[in-house]
Amino acid sequence: MIKAFKRVLVGLGLVVVTTSVFVVRSEVPAHASHLFRTYKHEVPQKLSETPEAVAEGKKVYEKRCWYCHGIEGGGDGPASKTMFPKPRNFTRNEYKVRSTTFGSVPTDEDLFRIITSGIEGTAMPFWSTITETERWQVIYYVKTFNEQFKKDTAPKVVSVGSVASTPDSIKRGQELFKETKCYECHGEDGRGNGPLTVALQTEWNMPYRARDLSKAWNFKGGNAIEDIYRTISTGFNETPMGSYLEKLSDEDRWHVAHFVKSLSKDMASDVVVKVKLLEGDQLPSEPLDENWGKATPVELPLGGQILTSPRHWAPAIDAVMVRAVYNKDEIAFLVEWDDSTNKQEEVFRDAMSLQFPTKIPESLKKPYFAMGDSSGAVNLWSWKAHWGEGFGSAAEAPETVVELNAKGFKSVVPQPPESQNVSGKGIYQNGRWKVVMKRPLKTEDAKGDIQFEIGKLIPIAFAVWDGSNSDVAGQKSVSSWYYISLEKPVPKTVFVYVLIAIVMGASIEMWFVARLRRFPPKLEE
Amino acid sequence: MAKKRSKFLMIWVITAVVCLFLFLKYASPKIFQVLMAKDHTMPTPSTLMMWYMIMGVLAGLVYATTSNQKFADFLGFLLPGGGPIIKILLQKMLFVGFPVLVGWFVYSWSIPGAASPVELRIQHPTLPQEFEKRENPFRQTDAETQRKCIEEGKILFQTYCRPCHGSKADGNGPFANSFRLRPINFQDPGTIATVVDNYLFWRIKEGGPGLPSESTPWDSAMPSWKDDLKDDEIWKIIMGEYDTAGVMPRQREKLE
Repeated sequence: MIKAFKRVLVGLGLVVVTTSVFVVRSEVPAHASHLFRTYKHEVPQKLSETPEAVAEGKKVYEKRCWYCHGIEGGGDGPASKTMFPKPRNFTRNEYKVRSTTFGSVPTDEDLFRIITSGIEGTAMPFWSTITETERWQVIYYVKTFNEQFKKDTAPKVVSVGSVASTPDSIKRGQELFKETKCYECHGEDGRGNGPLTVALQTEWNMPYRARDLSKAWNFKGGNAIEDIYRTISTGFNETPMGSYLEKLSDEDRWHVAHFVKSLSKDMASDVVVKVKLLEGDQLPSEPLDENWGKATPVELPLGGQILTSPRHWAPAIDAVMVRAVYNKDEIAFLVEWDDSTNKQEEVFRDAMSLQFPTKIPESLKKPYFAMGDSSGAVNLWSWKAHWGEGFGSAAEAPETVVELNAKGFKSVVPQPPESQNVSGKGIYQNGRWKVVMKRPLKTEDAKGDIQFEIGKLIPIAFAVWDGSNSDVAGQKSVSSWYYISLEKPVPKTVFVYVLIAIVMGASIEMWFVARLRRFPPKLEE
Repeated sequence: MAKKRSKFLMIWVITAVVCLFLFLKYASPKIFQVLMAKDHTMPTPSTLMMWYMIMGVLAGLVYATTSNQKFADFLGFLLPGGGPIIKILLQKMLFVGFPVLVGWFVYSWSIPGAASPVELRIQHPTLPQEFEKRENPFRQTDAETQRKCIEEGKILFQTYCRPCHGSKADGNGPFANSFRLRPINFQDPGTIATVVDNYLFWRIKEGGPGLPSESTPWDSAMPSWKDDLKDDEIWKIIMGEYDTAGVMPRQREKLE
């Protein structure tokens, strides 16, 4: 009897095993936070600052640091020409990430932390890869570039207490953000788009860029709440970011820090942008349409166009957020990105372009991700912002959406007027461009236009130009190939299958249990 | 104690299988993150997980059938009557749970899922013939010239290659995140340490567009530098690059 049960049991086991195959299909949630450098707080036991240590530090510096920071520490190393932001000039006290009061030099521990962690959004790598001893030594050498390190023997350190984050604290922080005029540089939504930011220039004629507080990964010196509090308290030397140690009480600085923390978001990246089906609805053609909320946004990192001369080493836009929806006739994209100003010049316009292959690839082969190549053409949807010099001015250029075809950087051709089927609209609001582009799923121009098909993986790439950064033509921020996939609607038959499965599962179970009860397992004595 | 436990043998087996699943799904990615010192979790590959689960279920069944006593206890759990309230509760959960589980499997299997892109590529395609015979003119020079070449190469590397490949040649430059096919980490012993100078010369000169199609040139963000850098500069960059990464080129085998 028991043998019969064993057989049934093994059969049942196999059913469980085969079904468990499908458990593993559930996907890991998309996140990209691991892409970025994080600020590490731990500091080990200090090495004593001896002339020998300084001499050793010089060796480390001249092996690893001088290419950017310069042999004399002037921040003018030979590699600095392809860098933005520029490397730190150690002869001046322009140290940003410090636990000391404004204008003071940082502590050795501050320098240790920044050397160990690196700075995201800049060329500064994390040097956790060299020994702690080497890091201390190089710190002692770097300090010799600036006399102030000798004068300020014991710089005053700003203490870090803590106030818990509550909705009230965040609200109070928001009020203080306004009262203290933080928005004048950082903008009302914290996107680094305040009116002053646009006007201020460094002495190298570079624009000062207020931090975009919505991008958590770019915070200098960490995005933990203590880090934000520290920055508000100590300020960044030699930048418009001053210290609020005197201007705000300790508690108020915590409130502002909590508010700033509440503005910051991680990058939610993914490889495939799911295009949501909006059944029966008209597709949104306005950037602010509430229907966009139904589509899942995907955020993608952008880098400078470095593939062909002239290369762009200092792009201003480092990410775009994409949403897409479709119905039986059309497909629409909403692309958003932060830009500190919509100020442009006639030649240097704010612009964005989507890139598709002209055909959905049937094999692995795609056109070259940067503007296609001779063996693979791409279809570009190119949007340019409205430009005008100001009120009552004659110089003006309208917002345009043009469809082009390209087979490499040097062969870009606009499509003839009869093939132009993309419509678009962009608005600039609180430091952010939001641009909609829309086209029928299928067009007459099967040669030059991508024809969208449900359920297929369709390559897509992005390019963004920031006029105020003098971006034009090949001077742009670009992405690699990503994919869009027009979501298949869930067929009604699925629910029938599920019902059948449940009924079958229940029947097998009942049969098994009934059999078990009729012939209960007995122990042979 | 032992008697009570054996009555719930089936529940213990099920719990063990569930624990195995939870371990593979949530604990193991974290453990591997710590063990391999990564800054992100290491999810268990789905096929591996499938096989572990199969083995887990089979191991449970094997255990339950090791003796007739155990097996009788194992099945006995499903028999009605007797036992504490918790047993009746668990029985009911099991009866309801099984068909629901089957239904859920069928649902998750039959809803149209978004396909994942397949992107296979050969990382080290064969060096084209025309580059095979090229030789680094600076490798045979005296130590002083070599040292100078390395230093000049490092400056060029830091200027033009660093934005993607990083100051340390570890593939972590500021643009690295922007290219889905990440810039190569030259410190990795599986990369430039396995090839000769000529190979790098070819890669730098022709870049992504010069790759054969099995190496997916369309996804490579490696620029072609033939129009912007002179051959001598490229050879120097190669020397500086090996030095920055702290690895040596592969040595040519001497024919006996």
